[in-house]
Amino acid sequence: MPGETLGQAAGETKTLVVIPHKCVGCRTCEVACSFAHATAQGLGHSRIRVHPVGNERFVQVTCLQCVNAACVKACPTEALKRNTETGTIEVDYKRCIGCGLCEVACPFGHMHFDVKARQPVKCDLCGGNPACATFCPHGALEWR
Amino acid sequence: MEVKIRVNDVEVNATRGESLLEAVRRAGFHVPSLCHHEALEPIGACRLCLVEVKAGDKEELTTSCNYLVEDGLEVVTDSEQIRKNRVANLELLLARAPGSPKLRELAAEYGVAVPRFAPIKESALPNCILCELCVRVCAELGHHALNTIGRGENKKIGLPFNQPSASCVGCGSCVSVCPTDCILMKDTATTRTIWGQRFELARCKGCGTPITTVKHRDFAIENKGLPEDYYDYCESCKQAATSKRFASVAW
Repeated sequence: MPGETLGQAAGETKTLVVIPHKCVGCRTCEVACSFAHATAQGLGHSRIRVHPVGNERFVQVTCLQCVNAACVKACPTEALKRNTETGTIEVDYKRCIGCGLCEVACPFGHMHFDVKARQPVKCDLCGGNPACATFCPHGALEWR
Repeated sequence: MEVKIRVNDVEVNATRGESLLEAVRRAGFHVPSLCHHEALEPIGACRLCLVEVKAGDKEELTTSCNYLVEDGLEVVTDSEQIRKNRVANLELLLARAPGSPKLRELAAEYGVAVPRFAPIKESALPNCILCELCVRVCAELGHHALNTIGRGENKKIGLPFNQPSASCVGCGSCVSVCPTDCILMKDTATTRTIWGQRFELARCKGCGTPITTVKHRDFAIENKGLPEDYYDYCESCKQAATSKRFASVAW
């Protein structure tokens, strides 16, 4: 769509900004994400992952909320849809049938599949206030 | 078309022709069900979503999942009559699936301590309640591999003629939607066994982690219109590649 940027929709001005050269690889973001998505069954799967690249360099990777998302195209039941208010691609668990195609289709590896619950797990930007950015002690993740 | 219905004497907005169960649940009322899925056609198999509906001067006790909303419906989601019928249906379901935790939880909620009916002795698929969610999900996906076989007390779920089916791709969606977790699926490092059929698993080109079955991947490649190389690697290897690409920009 013209004029739309990643993670942003009309009216929404904030984006999760990843600044890898500030990342020290402490994985506080992963812990924060797990706690933010905790349920009665326990901690949630972390939607953000920190990957070491070469020597002492780290890159945090999480869902890019693609404009032309492969997961949305792969979903057979339209359970994955963009929330036009926040710009996030969200999973409607009531429509999800747990086929796992979204995980297989995402070319960036940001779609996860909870094998036990047989449900996909993806970054929902915590509904508009991502915990990873709040808790990053080094300013390597910003919500701005 | 927007219409107004009354649920437990509360006015609720709904869309004409949608499932009554979905409208009632959206308004925040709790109605139990095992066989309903919003992405699939409702068939009213488990009989737990019973509600009392008054449409004009016609009053009935009916399943809400496959009752279509129309203007001016008056709905009651909980009454002595409803509870009595739900309890009877729960007891019948428990005879089919005594080992289902979800069903036991529901039974406890409805105060069924000892069900009146003894568990059935022989079953082709233990704990199956014949809700046909697996059949419907398979059809929705376009595979049409599963079906009901036989009638009456011999009715069961399976592949046609109990033979291996070329239509089944081994995706496991039936396992995901099954409310009583009665479908067996077993993965090893290289194969997946489901419905008595063995499938070869497609493995990551980088680390060898199983991704999904070869047939399921090929089905996706053929039908989803996405580049074929999207399906080559597992999520960790894809993430590692993504982070390397990001790193080349960041430094």
